[in-house]
Amino acid sequence: MRSRFSTIAIHAVLLGYTALALFPIILVVMNSMKMKRAIFLSPLTPPGPTSFDLIGYHRVFADGAIGTYYMNSIIVTLGTIFFTLLFGAMAGFALSEYKFRFSKVLGLYLSIGIMVPIRLGSVAIISLISGMNLINTLTALICVYVAQNLPLAVFILSEFVHQIPKDLREAARCDGLSEYNIFFHIVLPLLRPAMATVAVFTMIPVWNDLWFPLLLAPSNGKQTITLGVQQFLGQYVTDWNAVLAALSTAIIPVLIFYVLFSRQLIRGLTSGAVK
Amino acid sequence: MAHVSIKSLQKSYGTVDVLKDIDLEVEDGSFVVLVGPSGCGKSTLLRSVAGLEAVNGGEISIGGKRVNDLAPAKREIAMVFQSYALYPHMNVEKNMGFGLRFAGTPKAEIDARVTEAARILRLEALLKRRPRELSGGQRQRVAIGRAIVRKPQVFLFDEPLSNLDAALRVNTRVEIAKLHKLLKATIIYVTHDQVEAMTLADKIVVMNQGRIEQAGKPLDLYYRPANKFVANFIGSPAMNMVEIEVTGKNRMRTLAGDELALALPRGAKVGDRLTLGARPEHLSLGAPIKGLKGQLDLVERLGEVGYAHIDMPGGARFIVEVRGEIETGRGNGVGIVIDPKHVHFFDADGKALH
Amino acid sequence: MADNQQVEMVGMNRSAYWRVLAFFLAPAVVIYTLFSVYPLLATIFDSLYQRQEGGALTYNGLGNFHTLLTDDTWSKPFWNAFRNNILFFIIHMCVQNPIGLALAALLSLKQLAFRNTYRTLIFMPTMLSVVIIGFVWQLILSPLWGVWKLFLQALHLGFLFGPYLGEEHIALLTISLVSVWQFVGIPMILIYTALLAIPDDLVDAATVDGLNQWQTFFHVKLPLIWPTIGLVSVLTFVANFNAFDLIYVMEGALAGPNFTSDIMGTLFYRTFFGNQLQPGDPTMGSTIATMMFLIILMGLLVYLYVIQRRIQRYSF
Repeated sequence: MRSRFSTIAIHAVLLGYTALALFPIILVVMNSMKMKRAIFLSPLTPPGPTSFDLIGYHRVFADGAIGTYYMNSIIVTLGTIFFTLLFGAMAGFALSEYKFRFSKVLGLYLSIGIMVPIRLGSVAIISLISGMNLINTLTALICVYVAQNLPLAVFILSEFVHQIPKDLREAARCDGLSEYNIFFHIVLPLLRPAMATVAVFTMIPVWNDLWFPLLLAPSNGKQTITLGVQQFLGQYVTDWNAVLAALSTAIIPVLIFYVLFSRQLIRGLTSGAVK
Repeated sequence: MAHVSIKSLQKSYGTVDVLKDIDLEVEDGSFVVLVGPSGCGKSTLLRSVAGLEAVNGGEISIGGKRVNDLAPAKREIAMVFQSYALYPHMNVEKNMGFGLRFAGTPKAEIDARVTEAARILRLEALLKRRPRELSGGQRQRVAIGRAIVRKPQVFLFDEPLSNLDAALRVNTRVEIAKLHKLLKATIIYVTHDQVEAMTLADKIVVMNQGRIEQAGKPLDLYYRPANKFVANFIGSPAMNMVEIEVTGKNRMRTLAGDELALALPRGAKVGDRLTLGARPEHLSLGAPIKGLKGQLDLVERLGEVGYAHIDMPGGARFIVEVRGEIETGRGNGVGIVIDPKHVHFFDADGKALH
Repeated sequence: MADNQQVEMVGMNRSAYWRVLAFFLAPAVVIYTLFSVYPLLATIFDSLYQRQEGGALTYNGLGNFHTLLTDDTWSKPFWNAFRNNILFFIIHMCVQNPIGLALAALLSLKQLAFRNTYRTLIFMPTMLSVVIIGFVWQLILSPLWGVWKLFLQALHLGFLFGPYLGEEHIALLTISLVSVWQFVGIPMILIYTALLAIPDDLVDAATVDGLNQWQTFFHVKLPLIWPTIGLVSVLTFVANFNAFDLIYVMEGALAGPNFTSDIMGTLFYRTFFGNQLQPGDPTMGSTIATMMFLIILMGLLVYLYVIQRRIQRYSF
């Protein structure tokens, strides 16, 4: 098949690019565990017995707020996922299951949001949220993120509902299930793998978002981790230990999560993009 | 068990009529098989009885009660789907009892019925398994079991054997026949396989293009097809047909000029153009001297019997059942002898004449 | 959605049917309408009004747009941001997507060892927050730390080092390349999947026909993945004209140095919220958001009616 030479060349290119992709991340995580002198004198060496120091982490956690920020991010992300999946699956089910006059129009209406970024409506979102007295609440973020993620979730989940054999739903109808029971007892359990996929790639942009936390919940301990780290970095910009430790604190959990779920995530990206 | 009565049933998708004025009586405890080529409307008819399709006109009644506007679950029917439609996330036991649970049947009653059905279908050892851990034949039995536990008025089967391999299909066919006797159930069964139809049915309903072509006992359809379509569809290999012109009393000539002498149906007049039909087993080979003549193309040997394929003048092809050796070889002229007791005539519209 | 999958409800009257539909559809439709569609429409609506001294809104027709496009105080920053944004997009199209395509082509080669590992690792930066990435690169490029200088020196390119983020002619390019570095995973994965979907038989047939691997790629595979490349392009377009975070993090809301890294997203943010130089202006903010919407809409329409129609789609 391929010659030995070209196999080596292919691996060289891929290895080189992988190194380029990982280098900055490794560099930051590595130096976050070093003494300040070592960070500047030998940035490219990993922490050793003489240079190891967790002072940066002490400073980050001494602030105390990081824990709150994490909690906020977790609440917002889980809340968003829960409602996106539930409402997305319900709407996806109805759109692919029932015949009604404006189902096509409704499907099109919902799918506009896949392409048009919700950010463009920010001005009105702020007045809407403040009108509802939700400024500086996590609820505000959840509402906006659910609205942002629903279109793609509906689209993907309705494709998956479509793949559930029609016979199953008809058998359930013969078995005397109401439409609600068909959804909750037959369709929802069978959608579980699809929902895992949607969940994994709904949560990444939500977790990482800076814009809406900045606009809707920028203070009073309601910051998400992304915004919290951004604000922290602004304050401590000259404290290299603290900056590197704060960055690593934000990076590491995401990387662990990614390594655990990369398969679902990549499946999700691809299934969302096939059409 | 109940009687099912269908009167002037109409169904269309947009402008396409898929069921045209269907009348059908399914007697209490009888086994009715709907057959026909794909797209003939047989599945739609079954699904209309189930309540999975709305109809545009006519009436369906089960046990004397009009069910047109009843939801499937209220019709006291049970359906066995071609794909089995077992719920993948439930074990066999739950699958079978699922409908009863939602009907509010007491738990003890559900268990009793599931156990009984499992016994009949020999599924006792499999009750805790999920569908994907079962073979095709086992899934099929679970699907039937799910129907049995509901104690329905009517069983509806939608091509239940078409996902099984050939050997299993024969076994399951026999089991379904036994089950019918055991349960004394009213069954409506859709298939495109005429062997299933012939072996299972008390009554076969042959459908084509949304209409019933003929309904009757299997052998009636075989020996007395009402028209060319049924004659062609029932029996394998299909009935041979050739166009003839009546030339006198019980005398006729094919378009190729072969002269035949056979009893014609009453009312046949000289000059009438008719179609003569005869099944392969009612034909034999003879010397190419008189009667039908053609050229031997090939002989298929199936063991005890064989089929001689004969090219007729004008491009038609006849199949003649043969036993033992054939003396002549490929390309030689042969004569075809027709058993005069088993000959069919059809008029220009395809209707059988007797 | 094929019609034969949908069912008719026998034995359910109209009102029960509508209740079922409402139950399943209402939550999604209401939330989406309230927090996504309505704000977008309200923003477009707002762009037609002008805020008076007292805070009262008066109808101004297309006046805001006229101001934005012609009045020097507005039009200069706007056209500057627009030009920069176009440049930002062009850099992504010319660097990110070709690299993504090349990586995908390599990854999709048959019998490649460690394929999944490469894929997972190369995709990793895409997972991280733009905020984090922006800071990480800010540190790396910082002359104070000097990591980048060390790196360039190791390649004997030390003379190329400079305070990129502070140099007017190079800041935007630098930020664009950081963005490319982060997001190259997306075109890679999408194209990679499309390449894997090509049946092996086709590639085998090409081999039997005597094509080498390069020829197979350019004459067999590439024509089959044009639709995916089209999709990748439109996704890049939408993301680029909606970008904000990276520049905000690396160069601040003022998109320095001297606005040379300003793009639509940062201009919108600055206009709406105000900054050291000017107070916030919601109606002009809405006007810029509406312009962004129109630009994205045009991109989508070009994709739907020009690109997608020209591309032949094949199903396997």
